[in-house]
Amino acid sequence: MAEPTKQEIQAVYPTVAKTIADALGCDVDQVKLDVSLIEGLDAESIDFLDLVFRLERAFKIKIPRGKIVEDARGDLPEAEYEQKGIVTEAGMQRLRAFLTEVPADRFTTPLKVADVPRLFTTETFCKLVVRAQHAAATAG
Amino acid sequence: MSGHFSAYSFVDRITELQPGKYAKGEFQVPVRVARFPSTLVAEAAGQLAAWNAMAFLEYKVRPVAGLASEIRFGPEVRPGQRLDIAVSIDTCELDAVSYSASVDAEGVRVLELDNSVGPMLPMEEFDSPSAVRERFELLCGPGAPSGRFQGVPQPDVEVVERVPEQRVVAMLRVPKEAAFFDDHFPRRPVYPGTLLLDAHIGLSLQFAGESKRWPMGTRFAATRVLGMKMRSFTAPGEILELWVDVDPPSDPTKSKCKTGVRRNGKTVATGGIEITARSSN
Repeated sequence: MAEPTKQEIQAVYPTVAKTIADALGCDVDQVKLDVSLIEGLDAESIDFLDLVFRLERAFKIKIPRGKIVEDARGDLPEAEYEQKGIVTEAGMQRLRAFLTEVPADRFTTPLKVADVPRLFTTETFCKLVVRAQHAAATAG
Repeated sequence: MSGHFSAYSFVDRITELQPGKYAKGEFQVPVRVARFPSTLVAEAAGQLAAWNAMAFLEYKVRPVAGLASEIRFGPEVRPGQRLDIAVSIDTCELDAVSYSASVDAEGVRVLELDNSVGPMLPMEEFDSPSAVRERFELLCGPGAPSGRFQGVPQPDVEVVERVPEQRVVAMLRVPKEAAFFDDHFPRRPVYPGTLLLDAHIGLSLQFAGESKRWPMGTRFAATRVLGMKMRSFTAPGEILELWVDVDPPSDPTKSKCKTGVRRNGKTVATGGIEITARSSN
């Protein structure tokens, strides 16, 4: 499936930003495209769940649960992606390739699997929405 | 574990069930309870959704309070009334169940709940999977005996800051011991989010009653809860800070508030409460 383009990301960004602001109770101006939701906006795991449901309603799309993490791992078998809760070197390569919106210096090692969501930015969620739109279009 | 499946359980019977899709059930509010707050009606709806989801996912996980986009409260339920509960499950997966629900009492709609989400956590952490399975089978069969619920204590709330017409802050002392902790949950006692909401609604109603905006004798009821989000668990004995910020008036019969709960400066829950004023006549 084609990767989201800059234009597609920009097209969904205003609604994604408003949805994030509503979910986190922050000002929409704080929701920059490159802000980390956890480190920059104090999001917690319940907020990610909230956000996914809100994005589904806002865009009338279906986002399977755990979709970001699943997509991030791609076709890499779980045993090659992580060992004892730490992302492997192969897993790190895969994450860097998938989360292109995240600056390289934020991929610190060792990276716990549980800390992968710390990398997610507003753009990560824009891409999630665009991929879901692509999937819906493909499905018919 | 004497209060297990009784001290904070609000489904007596499951009358219709399609696992992962919908369920209908009943709960008889005992005649002798002093009060049955509307938030317990919401709890009953959440519990019916939970029974459905737990059975669908083979008792590996159980949902806990998480999100509710909107809860609309109708007339208060009276002791002795029977609740007819219906839940419609939108999605049910290992990380969360999302559902909507409605509850009637003697043919009158007393609660509607839209877009609720219960995050799933490992069942073993909270309860015995086999005990939960057995209980579910009982509920789907002859049903549990009614009258088990003994009521809940009034929340211990003390106002510590008050800015008339604008803001009120109070401390909520969660009891160290209470019967409902035996049921919610047997292996990990957690102060129920619906009791926290009840305390918050009580504080909001009290503050509305102090307002000069309304004529003397006006009665108030919480009619809606919006965007409720529970961020963390509250253990027995904890002290919480409840705050209520009243929005500038925009409707002659309503007062809307933003509300939150903090523990040691960290947010535990957020949401909004709408209070409706009713003339005393």
